Amino acid sequence: MSVGLTAEREELADTIGGFLAQKAPIAEVRRLMGGAAGAERELWKRMSDQLALPATAIPEKFGGAGFGYAELAVVFEETGRRLVPSPLFATSALAVPALMASGDEEALADLLPGIARGERTATLAWVEEDGDWSAGARSTAAERGGTWHITGVKTYVIDGATADLIVVHAHTPSGPALFAVEGEAAGLERVPIPTFDQTRRLARLELSGTPARLLGTAGDGDKAVAAALDRAAVLLAAEMVGGAQACLDMSVEYAKQREQFGRPIGSFQAIKHKCAEVLVELEGARAAAYYGAWAADAAPGELPVVACVAKATASEAFFRAAAENVQIHGGIGATWEHDAHLYLKRAKTSGILLGDPVLHRRRLAALIGL
Amino acid sequence: MIDEATRSQSESASPVELSPSARAFQLEVREWLAANAPAELKGRGLPRYRPDPKVKAALDAWTEHLAEAGYMCVAWPKEFGGRGLGGVEVALLNEEFHNAGVPRMTRGMGEGLVGPSIIAHGTPEQKARFLPRIIAGTDRYCQGFSEPNSGSDLASLSTRGVLDGDDIVVTGQKVWTSWYWDATMLFCLCRTDPSAPKHKGISYVLIPIEIDGKPNGIEFRAIKQATGDGNFAETFISGARAPQLNVIGGLNNGWRVAMTTLGNERGAGATTQYTQFDDEFKRLVEDARRLGKLDDPVIRDKLAWAFSNVEIMRYSGLLLLNSLAGGREPGAGGSASVNKIRWSEYERKLAEIALDILGPEAMVVGESYQLAPWQQTFLHTRTHTIWGGTAEIQRNIIAERVLGLPKEPNS
Repeated sequence: MSVGLTAEREELADTIGGFLAQKAPIAEVRRLMGGAAGAERELWKRMSDQLALPATAIPEKFGGAGFGYAELAVVFEETGRRLVPSPLFATSALAVPALMASGDEEALADLLPGIARGERTATLAWVEEDGDWSAGARSTAAERGGTWHITGVKTYVIDGATADLIVVHAHTPSGPALFAVEGEAAGLERVPIPTFDQTRRLARLELSGTPARLLGTAGDGDKAVAAALDRAAVLLAAEMVGGAQACLDMSVEYAKQREQFGRPIGSFQAIKHKCAEVLVELEGARAAAYYGAWAADAAPGELPVVACVAKATASEAFFRAAAENVQIHGGIGATWEHDAHLYLKRAKTSGILLGDPVLHRRRLAALIGL
Repeated sequence: MIDEATRSQSESASPVELSPSARAFQLEVREWLAANAPAELKGRGLPRYRPDPKVKAALDAWTEHLAEAGYMCVAWPKEFGGRGLGGVEVALLNEEFHNAGVPRMTRGMGEGLVGPSIIAHGTPEQKARFLPRIIAGTDRYCQGFSEPNSGSDLASLSTRGVLDGDDIVVTGQKVWTSWYWDATMLFCLCRTDPSAPKHKGISYVLIPIEIDGKPNGIEFRAIKQATGDGNFAETFISGARAPQLNVIGGLNNGWRVAMTTLGNERGAGATTQYTQFDDEFKRLVEDARRLGKLDDPVIRDKLAWAFSNVEIMRYSGLLLLNSLAGGREPGAGGSASVNKIRWSEYERKLAEIALDILGPEAMVVGESYQLAPWQQTFLHTRTHTIWGGTAEIQRNIIAERVLGLPKEPNS
């Protein structure tokens, strides 16, 4: 199991890239982001039926393809490159790692096969109204007559309004725990939140005695969420690497064509150096994302550290690439018509999602014993 | 620090798949070093400055020991006295030396620059004459490229070379000549056709510093650097002579020869380059701890930033090695210019952070301008973004050769 690209992973990237170029060009992305929550479900069905993307890193015994995070990172790089609105991140980067981290074999056997087939989407609800990415849950779960019921508010839940299954982090008398809540459960109110980055959907969930299935052991919830978020951070970093690469490609393409002062603007050092600096940052982020994916598969002891490095580095690299892309395009880059703002919004909000670079460096400082 | 512990956990799961022959080579070097590495050099890196005579004697003895065992010019093809090693094997070699804690001595610029140029562009006669002398250490080279008025625009150089019978006679001034004090030869670019376009009229000449023990018109004057030390010289060349046999690649073809690099040594530092930065980072953490600054959230953020950079160098090296081991072309992340910008700008910033952490301690020096290590590093790192192609030139190279942006007109 080696780090980075291999012939097989390059082939996977080509297959997914080719599919998305055809089925999810930027015009389709714009159509979906303007539509109601759930409009992307049809594209997701194709991504599932034709490419089996949701099965990628799910073990074979639970109906998955049994690949690893290294392959899943390739998938995210490709979807990130094209800003594809899909349940992929919530399902494969958040919910599945959380389910796996619960270690609840019986629940995994029940819940994962439908997800692997793409029939059911899922998400993880762990953030509450203070917006603290690493806070413990204050929603509570209580057992009545053999069934758990959760009460509380979860917000900034990715695809929370449409996910078929919601993994909820809640507090129990025995400590924090993870629960599986059906999207259509009684006592669950789901309100979509309009988002700055329209390609990523969020919702606020109000749980009022909502019935839930305990996953694993009550008391292990924080550990499971932390394990899931390390994996999500690495996959988000891979997604951001794809986005940053798309921005750099757009910048370079435009700088070759756009002429001012009688020559392509890309022949001026002011533009060249911006592009070169974006590339240096992007390649650093790529190395961290690829290494993080390898660690998730082969060296989980390293993962908390690498996840922090990857998330912080990729957030900064993507933002830099997206911001310079607007600048290099000049006035047209700041219009609604041009795609540059879609990447700028995705970059800034992805940098905040799961915790910004300062938060990840704070976490890293503690992890390395400073 | 937990990183050693977490890294060792992953030793069993190697991120790079090595071929059986690469593993055998690794083992061979490991065993040889276990039996031969000199105790008195343990923990000593390659010297940054001119070493004192006692250290130099030990390093020279170790160099000759390595030469006898066939560890000089290992990346050169076998037919020219090398071992024909590729990037992966050289990386493993460096890693074994690093783990053994002893410096991997080489024949310096003769091995890394002059030899590869001769192998690529020399005649059979030139190869037969010059290559064995580099391997044996008889010819030790210093570089005469930069001039006072030709730095980044190297091809504008004005040192002249004039043919005189069977000889070429060179006159001009060079600068930033490092390791001059140990050299017997100067590899030099000079203009042999002033009427040709600037890249076309240059020749690459190997000039002996002495001929039969007599001076050959080459005078070095040490340059005192901002640290107070001197590792560079200005080089004054007045009528220095070399036989025309010493012109490599033919007259007026010197630019191409000078641009030759040893392609198969790419990735040589893949798994070891980060280690010096890792050691340096740990020293800074200890200084910050000693000064009670580890509770400051801004300092913690900066240190975590630094650690991230060292980690990224480690990851990048492994990715590069894995590409080479798998026979795949490394992506843009494997570009030498990307690597140069990353480490040189990182270390420059790290030294700035270090002096901030030292605070008032950074304001004072010892007797005779004796600098503390971080002050040395702070000054030394300013030059890393200048030599070997400035950070700005590296950005141009990335923009033009990696990203394909158009060249500046008239460059």
